[in-house]
Amino acid sequence: MASLKKFFFIKARDFVHAGEASIHIQSLLKSMHWDPVLIRRVAICSYEGEMNVVIHGGDGVLNLSIENDRLIIEIIDDGPGIQDISLAMQPGYSTASDEAREMGFGAGMGLPNMKKNADDIQIESEPGIRTRASMTFLLESPKETP
Amino acid sequence: MRPEYTTCYVRFHEERCTGCAECLKVCPTRAIRIRNRTSIRLVDLCIGCGACIRACAAGAISAATRPPQQIGNGHVAIALVSPVLYAQFPTAMPKDVLLGLRHMGFRHTIDMSIFLEMFQFAAAEFIRRNRETGEAPWPLISPVCPAVVRLIAFQFPALLAHVLPVLRPVALMAREVKERIIPSYEAQGRQVALYYLNPCPTMEQERFGPDGTPLRHPEISIGINDLYPDLNQRIDTILTEVPPFSETHFEYETCATANAALVAMSGGEIASMRIEKSMAVHGLRDTVAYLQKIEMGLFQEVEYFEFRTCREGCLGGVLSAVDKYMARSNVQRMLHLHGLGRRVPGNTILRLYDKGRFKPDKSPLTLTRFFGDRKPALSLEQMVRIEKILDTVAGWGCGACGAPDCPTFAEDVVRGEAELGDCQWLHPSRPCMKATPDEPGRSSPESGL
Ligand SMILES: Nc1ncnc2c1ncn2[C@@H]1O[C@H](COP(=O)(O)OP(=O)(O)OP(=O)(O)O)[C@@H](O)[C@H]1O
Ligand code: SF4
Ligand code: SF4
Ligand SMILES: [Mg+2]
Repeated sequence: MASLKKFFFIKARDFVHAGEASIHIQSLLKSMHWDPVLIRRVAICSYEGEMNVVIHGGDGVLNLSIENDRLIIEIIDDGPGIQDISLAMQPGYSTASDEAREMGFGAGMGLPNMKKNADDIQIESEPGIRTRASMTFLLESPKETP
Repeated sequence: MRPEYTTCYVRFHEERCTGCAECLKVCPTRAIRIRNRTSIRLVDLCIGCGACIRACAAGAISAATRPPQQIGNGHVAIALVSPVLYAQFPTAMPKDVLLGLRHMGFRHTIDMSIFLEMFQFAAAEFIRRNRETGEAPWPLISPVCPAVVRLIAFQFPALLAHVLPVLRPVALMAREVKERIIPSYEAQGRQVALYYLNPCPTMEQERFGPDGTPLRHPEISIGINDLYPDLNQRIDTILTEVPPFSETHFEYETCATANAALVAMSGGEIASMRIEKSMAVHGLRDTVAYLQKIEMGLFQEVEYFEFRTCREGCLGGVLSAVDKYMARSNVQRMLHLHGLGRRVPGNTILRLYDKGRFKPDKSPLTLTRFFGDRKPALSLEQMVRIEKILDTVAGWGCGACGAPDCPTFAEDVVRGEAELGDCQWLHPSRPCMKATPDEPGRSSPESGL
């Protein structure tokens, strides 16, 4: 069974290049004519994940894997980690810096958005060592519009 | 080999192509390829942004418009004037420009201000109501620049629902002419022709209406640059001699405010719209970047985006005769002298709005039929092959293969439209088959060929 694997580096605090991996993934899916709504859900999730690394995490990597019936995005960074994951998942919870808030981030909606748009999401973190978020999207998804 | 090769919007003059590959890289739809070094081919859809015309130093690409011929000869010529025209002249006022046009043979010269005002009012009204109804998703996107709307249909179909469903100013203007001016000439059995005086590359001549039926009266596009020399001379005469001129029948045939000229600048459309949360973005690169961000779910707190693919707005259109910064300065001078004015009472427009007079006759979704998914979908296997090819080519994006960038070249190979051997850096006589990873592009050639 064919599968397409690609990885992208994400640099902490690099707001200039932030989002490039998501844009790249979007264009890959478009050339495969995936459903625009599904593409949008993938784009929203990978962008939020990417930005969390840029804003809160350390340097990281985004692993993309496309299979016949699903797409998996795994984002790993070696930053400070998340102490309390269920708290971080609460809408509105944010520890974003003033700098990030000035740029329009820090609404505390990133993780909730990812949860809403992905068919499955796993978040693990070893505080002080690393954070890993893995999201799965099914080609035949039961989910609706973002 | 055809020496001339025309899309709806641009004309390629193959004999002038030097194969420099500059046009390939600027095309937002990656539509252009160079075959056999100097033969330009279009393999995908052109959205008429004009970027390739700007990029070509050899003059091998021009707009599909042609210089005007025999205006008003044997027919009644009606000019639909883009406000960009006013921005070309440092001393003339809009009314002088319209007068100059009438001296050139146009019987009617239609100024856009009133229609812009109506559009802006209707747009603000839709946005205001949308806050309650939630009929359309935020942010709404201006329908004014046709290149933007085609770009969305081609590359961001999920965003078509964001395009503001209000008739564009130029469509309001054309409808007015067709309803109020043309019928009286038709009754006299006279032929009428509509001339759109444009800053952007559009079809030279429209022969069919939006519904596919043939047009009764020809609709012709003229580039402002083609009109400029003659018009400039006539305006000089007007300004020195002030010849009397009669025969203006409708209010919108003279213009005294700077409203329209303001809209020629980026930000001018939203400036008088009274929508607080709006943004203006101009230039092709930034337009694409912002559309990508909107597609990723950003900017949902913004209500309205004014996009223009041309830098600085329409006065930076590729068919504008004077440089965009000079044009800006002309508009600013006009604003100082004339200021802005309101000419149509709000409740009149509101009444028309409620009658549905601003509703577009077709949804932008129909555009996907022309601009959506032109190429067959790539399978997962093909995507994997593309990645493999990308591992073997240099990755410099030099354009020597005739494709705009390496990923597009790899895609062409997988689609069977190019040969892997077209990549100059795979050739056996070149030892440097792959760039050293830490020095990408160091020894890359200045241009493609
Ligand atoms: N990769 C990460 N490393 C460390 N902490 C993280 C990481 N991702 C999320 N967090 C923590 O979880 C919190 C909530 O994240 P979430 O994405 O929901 O909101 P936000 O990033 O603060 O704001 P928004 O995403 O709306 O701009 C963050 O404020 C941060 O404390
Ligand atoms: S006008 Fe724009 S879309 Fe058309 S070929 Fe030129 S660059 Fe490409
Ligand atoms: S920005 Fe204006 S001049 Fe340029 S393509 Fe769009 S409408 Fe035409
Ligand atoms: Mg976040």
